[in-house]
Parts: sequence; C-alpha cells; structure tokens
Amino acid sequence: MFRPFRLIALFLLIMFAVGCASPTPEPTKAPPTAAPTLAPVATTAPAATKAPEPTKPAPTTAPTIAPTAAPKVAEPTRGGTAVVAMDSDPETLNLGLTTGYSAGDVGSKIFNGLVWLDGSYQPQPQLAEAWTISADGKTYTFKLRRDVTWHDGKPFTSADVKYTYEEILFKLHPRTRTLAARVKSIDAPDAQTIVFTLNDAYAPFMIQQTVFEAPILPKHLYDGQGDVTKNPVNLKPVGTGPFKFSEWNKGATIKLVRNDNYFEKGKPYLDAIVFQIIPQGANRSTALETGEVDFVVDFYLAKTDVPRLDKNTKLTGKRGQGAPAIDFMMFNTRTKALATPEARQAVAMAIDRKRIVDQSMNGIGRVGRGPFGDGFKWLLNPAVDFDKMYPRDVAKAKAALDKAGVTAGADGMRGKLRLLYDSARPQFVSAAQIIKENLKDIGFDVDLQAIERAVMIQKVFLDWEYDLTLQSFVSSGDPAIGYHRLYITTATKAQFTNQTGYTNPKVDDLLAKAATAPGVQARAGFYGELQTILANDLPSIVLFDEEGVDFASKKLSGTWAGIDSRDRWDLVWMPK
Amino acid sequence: MWFYILKRVAQALPLLLGVVVFNFALIQLAPGDPVTLLVGDYPAPEEYVKQVRAEYGLDRPLAEQLVLYLGQLARGNLGYSYANRMSVAELIGKRIGPTLQLMITALVLAIIVGVSLGVIAARGRGKLPDFAAQVGALVGYSVPDFWLGQILIILFAVTLAWLPSQGMRSARSVATGFDAFLETLPYLVLPTLALSVRFIALFSRITRSAMLDILHSDFVLGARAKGLSEARVLLTHVLRNASLPIVTVIGYNVGLLIAGSALIETVFAWPGVGRLMFDSITKRDYPVMTGILLMVSCAVVLANLLTDLAYAALDPRVRYTR
Repeated sequence: MFRPFRLIALFLLIMFAVGCASPTPEPTKAPPTAAPTLAPVATTAPAATKAPEPTKPAPTTAPTIAPTAAPKVAEPTRGGTAVVAMDSDPETLNLGLTTGYSAGDVGSKIFNGLVWLDGSYQPQPQLAEAWTISADGKTYTFKLRRDVTWHDGKPFTSADVKYTYEEILFKLHPRTRTLAARVKSIDAPDAQTIVFTLNDAYAPFMIQQTVFEAPILPKHLYDGQGDVTKNPVNLKPVGTGPFKFSEWNKGATIKLVRNDNYFEKGKPYLDAIVFQIIPQGANRSTALETGEVDFVVDFYLAKTDVPRLDKNTKLTGKRGQGAPAIDFMMFNTRTKALATPEARQAVAMAIDRKRIVDQSMNGIGRVGRGPFGDGFKWLLNPAVDFDKMYPRDVAKAKAALDKAGVTAGADGMRGKLRLLYDSARPQFVSAAQIIKENLKDIGFDVDLQAIERAVMIQKVFLDWEYDLTLQSFVSSGDPAIGYHRLYITTATKAQFTNQTGYTNPKVDDLLAKAATAPGVQARAGFYGELQTILANDLPSIVLFDEEGVDFASKKLSGTWAGIDSRDRWDLVWMPK
Repeated sequence: MWFYILKRVAQALPLLLGVVVFNFALIQLAPGDPVTLLVGDYPAPEEYVKQVRAEYGLDRPLAEQLVLYLGQLARGNLGYSYANRMSVAELIGKRIGPTLQLMITALVLAIIVGVSLGVIAARGRGKLPDFAAQVGALVGYSVPDFWLGQILIILFAVTLAWLPSQGMRSARSVATGFDAFLETLPYLVLPTLALSVRFIALFSRITRSAMLDILHSDFVLGARAKGLSEARVLLTHVLRNASLPIVTVIGYNVGLLIAGSALIETVFAWPGVGRLMFDSITKRDYPVMTGILLMVSCAVVLANLLTDLAYAALDPRVRYTR
C-alpha cells in the first residue's frame, strides 16, 4: 500500500544526508581576533614617498610602512565579512604558478610582493622596505622588512625571496619566467637583503615585483618537497599577506580570514573575505543588486549591466581602474588579400570602431588611437591617431584596395576572410557582427568563427589558420611586459605572441631599446618612433582601449587603493 | 533476483568499458590542447611546453595513454585533474553531494507533480483541467531550462526578493550540519523548479496517455461496479497498471536530468558535478571529463537496472530469476 509519509520521511532523510555530505567541510573558524582597533595604527609618513620610476635610482631612504594611497576616510573600523564575486575556481592558489585572474584575486590577499603599485603605477614598499638601483640600472638591492612572519609563524627572510625566484617564478610563472633570461644572479648576502643583478638594464623590472607578478612563497614548505606544481600547499596556501587561507568549497566559495600578525599593524580591518563563485556575468550583477555579494571587479562584470548598476543607489561604481588593456583586430599578413600595409589600411578604414565601442561595450571604452592604446600617456605620439589616419570611408577604402591589387570580381566581392574569436567574450561576439557588416561594404565576405578559447589558441597562435582575429591584451603595468610580444619578430609558433607574420628588424630594434632605455623620456622617444611605423604597417588595429568598471556595495570603504582593484584589501573596511 | 542483479552488473561492465574508450577517444580527438591552457597567457618556451606535456603524459601516443588510463582505472584511480591540481575522485567527491541534492529533489518534484497532473488530465479528458494540463505540458517541455532559470531569478530574487538568486547557501554563513541543510532549502527552490519543469511536463503527458489506455478496460469497469470510490479506482487500479510506461520514461530520463543539471548548476551557481563538467570542457581537463562521463554512464546503467527492478515490484507477472 502507498505510504506517503514514509516516502516523504525517506526523501527528507536522503536530502539531509546529501546536504550534510555536501562539499562544506567543517569551516575553519577565523582565529580569535585582537580587540578591535578603532583607528588604524599611526604609521610613519612616507619619506621620499614616490618610489623610483622604473629605471631611476630609488631614494635610499624609502618609506617604512605606510602606503601613499591610504583611503581618504576617517576612522576605519574592524569587523565584517566582504563577499567578492568571481567566475570559477582558480586552478591553484599558488600565485607563483599562474597569472589566472581568479587565482590573483584570492592570492593577492594571501601573499605579498616586494612592492605594490599605487594608483600612479609607482612602486610602494611592501615586503621590501627600501631599495636602491645602481646607476647603470643593472643592480637592484632590496632591504626586506624584519617584522614579517609566514602565516604558520615561521620568519620571512631573503632566502624565501631567492628560492621563490630561482625555483618557482623563473621556472613556472607564465609572465615572470620571461624575466629569467634577463637576470644574471640573485644574491642574499644577509637575511634582510636581496640583490638582483641583471644582464642589461630592464625598465619594467620594478613593476614586475608586485604580488601578481612575483609573489613571495615560503621556502620551508616547498624546498625538498618534490614537484612544486603538485605540492598540497598550493591548495591551502601559507603566505605573509593580510589574510590567511581558511577553507575552499570547490565550485562555491573560498574563505580567507584576518591575519592578526600582519606586519602592517592594525590591518587588515575585515574579519574575513569570502570569494563566491558565480559562473554567469548576469548573475554576478544580480547578486550585487540583491546584496549577496559586495564587490564585482571589471573582469567579471557584464558590461550590458553597467547602466542598470549605475542607477543603483546601494552601489558605488569606479571607472578607469586597472592596468591598460586593449582589444585588437589582428591581421594574418600571410593572407594574400591582407599581405600589404595598403590593403590592411583599407580594411581599417572600413571599420566603424566608434560603433563597436557604443554597441559592443555599451559605450564603456575609448576608440583606439594607436598601436599601444592610450593607457600609457607618457609614450603617446601625438602624430599617431588611428581616427585621423583611418577614418571610416568606404569609397576611399575600396579605392585603396583596388590600388593594392585586391580587386573585386564581377559580383563586387574581393574574397572571403575568416574572423576567429573566443566565443566566451561577449564584446567580441558583438564586434564581429559589426566587422562582418563593415567589411561587406568593401567587398569581403567575412566568415565568423566563434570558437572555444582552447581551439582559438590552437588555430590562431599555433596553426595560424585565420585571416582576422579579435584579441584582448593587458599590459601588466608596462608596455614592455604586455605589448612588445605582439609586434616582435617571432620565428616559432607560440601562444599569445606575434602570430600575424609581421616582421620588421627596425621595430625589433626599437622594442629592445624601449625596454632597456634609462628613463621615461628616452623610452618615450623609442615608443614614438615605433608608433609611427606600426600605425603605418598595421599588423593589427586597436579597436578600443578598455575602461575598467568595478562595482562595490556602499557597505565597503577603502577599496581601490592600488592600481589593481584586487590589491590592498588590507585597507578595506565596513563601516558599522 | 540477486543472480539477475549480478548478471546485469556483469553485462554492464563491457558497456562501461566501451563508454570509457569511446569517451576517451572522443575527448582527446576534439580540437583544443590542454597544454595551451596550462602554460598560461604568455609566450612559453618550447621546452617548457614539452615539459608540461610530458608531466601530464600528454606526449605519449593516444593508445598508450588509453592503456595507462584503463590500468589506473582498474586500480580505482580516476586520474589527476590538470586544471584543479588534485585527484579526480576527490574532486568529483566534493561536488557530487550538491548535484544529488538538486537532482533527487527535482526528480521527486517532477514525479509527484507530473504524475498528479497526468491523473487529473486523464480523469477530466477533454475538459478544462485536461486542456490546461496539456497546454502547460507543451509550454513546460518547450521552454529552455536555462532561460526559465534566468526568468525565475529576475522574478523571485530580484523583483520580489523572496528567494536567493544563486549559490547553495549564503557566502557569509558559518552554519554546519542540520543548520546548513536548513539554510540550503531556500536556495534549492529556484534551481529545482527550473530543472524539474521539463520533466513535470513529460511525466504528466506520459501518465495521461498511459491512464487513458487503461481507463476504459474491463477491470476498471469491474472496480467501479464493485462500488469503489473514484480515487481508489484511479490510484489503486488505473495508476498502478499504468505505471510501467511511466517508470520506464522516468528511468530513461535520468541521463537527461544529469545533462539538464549542468545548465541549471551554471545558471544558479550551484556547486555540483554538472558545472564541474562544464568548466572541465572549457579547460580541456581530460581526466575530469572522462571521470564524470564514466560516473554519468554508471548512473544511467544503474537507473536502467532500478527501472527493471521496479517493473517486478509493480507488476506481479514480472519476475527476474535467471
């Protein structure tokens, strides 16, 4: 006979068992905190506050503790848990192994770099309290703080820095391993000193000492423990940063709790930060609106939601945050129709880049003006402006193509072009439609190929099987780190490096000089020349410069202290 | 009976082996190289790419990789996830609970509501309840579940603010045990609804159809002639005899339910295996993909076995001996 109550009871029992067996381990409670400090502990005003420009000698007396960009708010209070949205589980929490955005989001609170970058890209002291740079720009000597301990209580020393660089960053970090060839030696003459000797001067060296590029890892937990990539500490990291790892519910949340022994006394203010994994952009915006999360950084924000979020009185929006990033349409110069600069210039003239910004980015972004975007004001060449060089002009573009020998057939068409892009990037999906329409005006039939990222990497960068591609690149704080790889001659196929087939010895030479020249002015001279050449040769055209948009709940204060929104969360607090 | 179960399990083994080999080949032959994702977004020296490829055994011929995989599978080892840097079994173990919770709830809801609607529709054939149930089933079956999920979020989470929009419990929660279970319930409502609507529609249609086939049988007339109440006639006599096709459809839809959960888990940020599968595909995490497909295949085989056993429980004429 039917026994509804028994069945219901059984169902509830099963659900209870499953629910209790769900991936939430017994949460590690945050350690008891010290009595709340109502105001941040007074810190010494930074002497010689501006740390050196990348290649200039640093002031010998660097600041001791306080960053220059402390939040302009009175009376920060302790307590509260901030919820930060992200899109997926990081592959690891060892920031020395990845440049993944979500790993950086979590890891930047657990680890420290030797320096951090303030809102003007100026390096500020973090694990290093001072540094000097030799006159020839080849020797960097960092004095490390004495009062730093790892989250497990062990002291932090220069041996950690040396080990991290030599055994992890130079071998495994996707970006920093490219630095290895530039560094001749790393010496640790005493526990608080670390000396880098470079083969040649390298302008972005200081920029690459942040937690995102060079997080310092605990030697005592990695040395002699076998394969670094499989060390279990990677999933339960131990750092020196303001927050300690607490728990990771795969696919759901990662929780960090306050490090009460953080070397910046009185900080951090928050009790905990929970990263909530929300795969869909639209849902991250919704969670922000409903108060389920407190912060969504630009990288995870659906641009279509920005106008709606802008109107929400419970939220604060911040624009223009983050290192420059630009979105390109890149040519395959091996494609016959795109082989000459004249043909590529004609294609550029057909594209309505303003419409792409308006429709694909909801107006959030700036129409690209030159080969390095407009994010680095110091290098801009006023004579180079794509808008003036290649304004949309279909008739002129057609005539230029005819002159370049890319002629139309009887049907008015000049051929077919394959446009490849990552299907997970909504701005590309929309921009590709506009480009298809634009290029039809000048006689190209564009075959749109929206493909998965893994397939896109294979086809575009490793097989060169494309004619046009849409790509987004970040600079990581210096054009030499992020953008040089796009224009430098590349003999072998490698991902995210110049795949366009463009090669110009003059450009290669100028890029090398721009990376190593002493001082911004000298570098700007080389970049100026580069912009002239690249804007004419046009291996790619910048469609737009991205404009970072973050949103935070008004419950949070002290956000956006550094150039990277993910950095300096020790300064974030929640007013009572 | 036990012999029958053992026989079915033994028969399933070659099937599972075939599934593993097929999935392995299919996944490995798909375009996209996991190494490109593993080395990161910056140019990697060729020797480093080779080193990573060798580290995960991806430099070996496909056949050798398959043999190695089968060998470790025989030892109960599902492999190591490239993208998560942990063992696949541990990873799936951490994510299976939420998926079971969502799937079982959705299945139970779909059976209760779907069968009830089917009974009501069959009882009132050609009348308003029947028409309403049929239109509802048509709409329910046609609506894409991920779209429905978004609509439910906008309506119930954003506009009315009755229910949370995503996740399994509040990110700020520190509840454990029974408290954690209770806290999950409101989070379970919207994903369960979104996942079950299609199955409610399907089950109601099949129940109605099976009931109508039997409603005019002689034994039903006999039951009515005995003076049994209409409810008893419908539930005890008609529904029980109509249950075999219903059970068949339920059993055969477990695979679809798992597929549906992948989308729903993504829409509602539900931390289950479906979403893990989705992430693994984008990251070309072969061991996780193969492991989940194996798990799903086992679930489908098990569901079919349970369906067959349910026949025997529901119909005394069906007996499994040899």
